[in-house]
Amino acid sequence: MAENGSGTGSGSGTGFAREVAHRIFAAEFKDSNLQAKEGQDQYSPSYLITPTGAKCNRVFIVGTLTEKDDVGTAAEFWRGRIVDPTGAFFVTAGQYQPEAAQVLAKTTPPEFIAVIGKPTTYTTKEGNVLTSIRAESMQIVDAATRDRWVVDCAKLTMARLEKLKGDNPDAVKAREHYSTDVESYRQMVQQALESVRAL
Amino acid sequence: MSEIATKIEARFIELGIKVQPDEIETRLDQLINKFKVPPEEARRNVINYFLKVHNIPRTEFFEKRETPQVKASEIKEDGKWVTLRARVVQLWETNHESVSQVGLLGDESGTIKFTKWTKAALPQVEEGKSYLFKNITTSEWQGQFSVKLNKTSEIVPIEDDINIETPRVATSDIKEEGKWITLRAKVVQLWETNHESMSQVGLLGDESGTIKFTKWVKSELPQVEEGKSYLFKNITTSEYQGQFSVKLNKTSEIVPINEDIEVGRSLVEYSGAIVDIQSGSGLIKRCPECNRALVKGACGEHGKVDGIYDLRVKAVMDDGEKVQDILLNREVTEALVGITLEQAKDMATEALDQAVVLDVIKSKLVGRYFIVSGAKLDRFILVDTIRQDTTPIEEGIMSLLATAAPVAQEA
Repeated sequence: MAENGSGTGSGSGTGFAREVAHRIFAAEFKDSNLQAKEGQDQYSPSYLITPTGAKCNRVFIVGTLTEKDDVGTAAEFWRGRIVDPTGAFFVTAGQYQPEAAQVLAKTTPPEFIAVIGKPTTYTTKEGNVLTSIRAESMQIVDAATRDRWVVDCAKLTMARLEKLKGDNPDAVKAREHYSTDVESYRQMVQQALESVRAL
Repeated sequence: MSEIATKIEARFIELGIKVQPDEIETRLDQLINKFKVPPEEARRNVINYFLKVHNIPRTEFFEKRETPQVKASEIKEDGKWVTLRARVVQLWETNHESVSQVGLLGDESGTIKFTKWTKAALPQVEEGKSYLFKNITTSEWQGQFSVKLNKTSEIVPIEDDINIETPRVATSDIKEEGKWITLRAKVVQLWETNHESMSQVGLLGDESGTIKFTKWVKSELPQVEEGKSYLFKNITTSEYQGQFSVKLNKTSEIVPINEDIEVGRSLVEYSGAIVDIQSGSGLIKRCPECNRALVKGACGEHGKVDGIYDLRVKAVMDDGEKVQDILLNREVTEALVGITLEQAKDMATEALDQAVVLDVIKSKLVGRYFIVSGAKLDRFILVDTIRQDTTPIEEGIMSLLATAAPVAQEA
């Protein structure tokens, strides 16, 4: 019996679960350098495991775009710096992310911006791992959305810190790799929350 | 004694044989009164005598009178001999040469599957006709009952039309697969069919909730209209990955009813950020015949058609822990984005590009927090209401700080 399961159309397709977009503060994202791959073949998704144990194949961040540059040589390749209460993210958008690149191109910093994208890492000659986000989509948002994201991200980070004590496989990996200093991340969350508290 | 004699006489008449009553009485009298044989034994003896005289097999005489007439819904035991007065609701394709006919019988109480063996050498039955099925056996497989027609069974066509009433249920009561039911419901939504074997697919609703329906092309039923209420008779329930739906087949009936059923919905609420707007959103064209969204001006079923404009959004929401697909229809989209279908058409005409509408939608939705509510269907929420999440964040900040702070002080 040919059942389709979905009432309408295509979308992300059946039998394929879309990856959740994790909320990560810039300070934690910057500290991340543990990569994991599920399965062996070249098409298996790769993940970045963060110090608090978020296993990300996609992230959602909201912050202030403070700088942007077209660093491409032949084709346009945009790089932006997006700041949250804890630090800065680097976001890229090139010819394969035309919509995000267009948004970045036309936006004049400073501006509140939301980014949904894939975490990527780059290892320098010195062996340092640099993280950035390859944007899938990017939109200008308002200050209220940015504040709401800080609270949302704080809530989810706290939940991960709580889970970090347990035997969840991602938590165990994060703990073993980073020897996560739970206290410093707790302070990071606290500082972020204080910054959006009604003045 | 004369009572026994009358019964025996009557039974033989049923078999088409005239036996002299006084001959029966004489024999009974001799056995009971003269030879002190118990009446039951005497009856048996007399019957056997006449059966032998007229050369009738014993089985035919006895079993016939022993099968009680039952209703389809009363069949709840395996291996019983019964008689069923029923209509042939549907004939199915036989999948084995040992089966001559297989299908569904129905009476006032419900429906039941039947199998007629080739070896039974019985006449063929016709769909829609009513019969008395005498001397058939009940059988059970995995909790489902059926009846089997064997070579001692008899099929007697009957004139009166048996009124088959499949039980009328509420959508929220549909919790079992393979049931025949009647549903009184309103067509809440019609969707694009995604297979040529389907004539219509969409959502039905009654006071208790909503359920997906599929109407097969083969059923040759009339088209239903969105917003109209109907009595859907003789439809089947089906299940896929824990989700129930109903199917309309060629024995089903659609009766329009003059009443507007108020659809009760099991509403779900979801809050999170919109992280993606999927292709097929914005200003689209639909096939005027089947309502499918056109791809490059062509319908998957009807080819190049003059499409009808529509506005809709297929989006992905995400709360950081799980994702949720949502569907916004034209009304909801218009209200949310602040662009009417007419304005959208003008925008597209001016820009010579339908994508401008999509760009506006994306700029207003992506990366922002929303609260939606609507009916959950498969992996979608069919959104009734959507509003930007403006619940005050202060409370969240305070409670989070309360959990973050104490430990911070310990350090």
